[in-house]
Amino acid sequence: MRALVVYCHPDPASFSAAVRDRVLEHLQAAGAEIRLHDLYAQGFQPCLSQSEWRGYLDSPANRAPVSEAVSDLEWCDTLIFVYPTWWYGLPAMLKGWLDRVLLPDIAFLMPDGVNKTIRPGLGRITRMGVFTTCGASRWLTFFVGAPGKRTLLRGVRLICAKGCRTAFAAHYLMDSSTPDSRAAHLDRVGRAMDRLIGRRARTTEATA
Amino acid sequence: MTRALVLFAHPCAESFSAALHTRVVEALSARGWEVDDCDLNAEGFSPVLTEAERRGYHDLDHNQTPVHTYVERLQAAQALVLVFPVWNFGYPAILKGFFDRVFLPGVSFRLEGGRVRPNLTHIRKLAAVTTYGGTRLRAVLSGDPPRHVVKRALWHVTRPEKLRYLALYDMNRASQTTRAAFLDRVGREMGAL
Repeated sequence: MRALVVYCHPDPASFSAAVRDRVLEHLQAAGAEIRLHDLYAQGFQPCLSQSEWRGYLDSPANRAPVSEAVSDLEWCDTLIFVYPTWWYGLPAMLKGWLDRVLLPDIAFLMPDGVNKTIRPGLGRITRMGVFTTCGASRWLTFFVGAPGKRTLLRGVRLICAKGCRTAFAAHYLMDSSTPDSRAAHLDRVGRAMDRLIGRRARTTEATA
Repeated sequence: MTRALVLFAHPCAESFSAALHTRVVEALSARGWEVDDCDLNAEGFSPVLTEAERRGYHDLDHNQTPVHTYVERLQAAQALVLVFPVWNFGYPAILKGFFDRVFLPGVSFRLEGGRVRPNLTHIRKLAAVTTYGGTRLRAVLSGDPPRHVVKRALWHVTRPEKLRYLALYDMNRASQTTRAAFLDRVGREMGAL
């Protein structure tokens, strides 16, 4: 197993960092090869620039500004995102990673003379994990339609392998979390990771 | 007089998004509205919420300081119009960062007994003008995150009298005629917002 973990939180002491560490422990225990992208630590620049937009369709030159991220994306078969949900969605930093790295001829294939629609380009990715924290309640998150979760688990999953296995866990009402609720959540993350890795019999997906 | 804040989020002047942006500003100005035209890329807006901002996020006395000029522009508006392309199932990072950094507690919402209450109710008209590379079906399959954010999350903090979500799908294959018709529609809708 080759796992790319994309982690996005500005504060090294955040609960998201603890979630990331729990994810990494389970990957290590399963003997996975791991590559970690810590976007804030890298100082990742999230704005797709004028020159990137102008050269968007020009592959393979389009990968040059983000070549390391692209090669890790092409290398992995397991893609995991760990981030806080801000304004119901991904932090701008992480959205910008999608904008700049999920490029044509890498993440998807543009329509051409034969194909009328966009086709998936990440067919080698067979597992995707999404682990987040939400300030909002579960109810409000669902009312808004969980845009962050959908961007990854429905949107990005569309361009991964058919039948790509998924895992999801969110800690809601993060601002009123307690040491107990956080510990229970870390255990939930661990169980979701085990199911994702497939160390136990496959059961229903984690949704809490 | 109605004052409109237009948030534009495309880096390139030759893009179709830029043409939509121009049409929006023209149509709103033509009806006598005062337009605060905010081109996020041209203004060099930084979308990255910093570690210090995250730590001070709920400090209502100080959290607006790093972005106070944007907060003032948002608070002066009675109409909010977003013009953006959909990239990879959502709006560009630069616009997402505007929500992350400027739509703060005490600005866009306030917490009362743990509940999120709307705090931008001076915005009476809300619109989004956007283009999707993929088809409508593809947007539906992905759960259409940008539509949900506008029609539910932004609606929730503004409670506008009028909300329009204007989208052109399948941009990669849109003909000149389709695009011209969409531009005209956007002009009409902005005249009637």
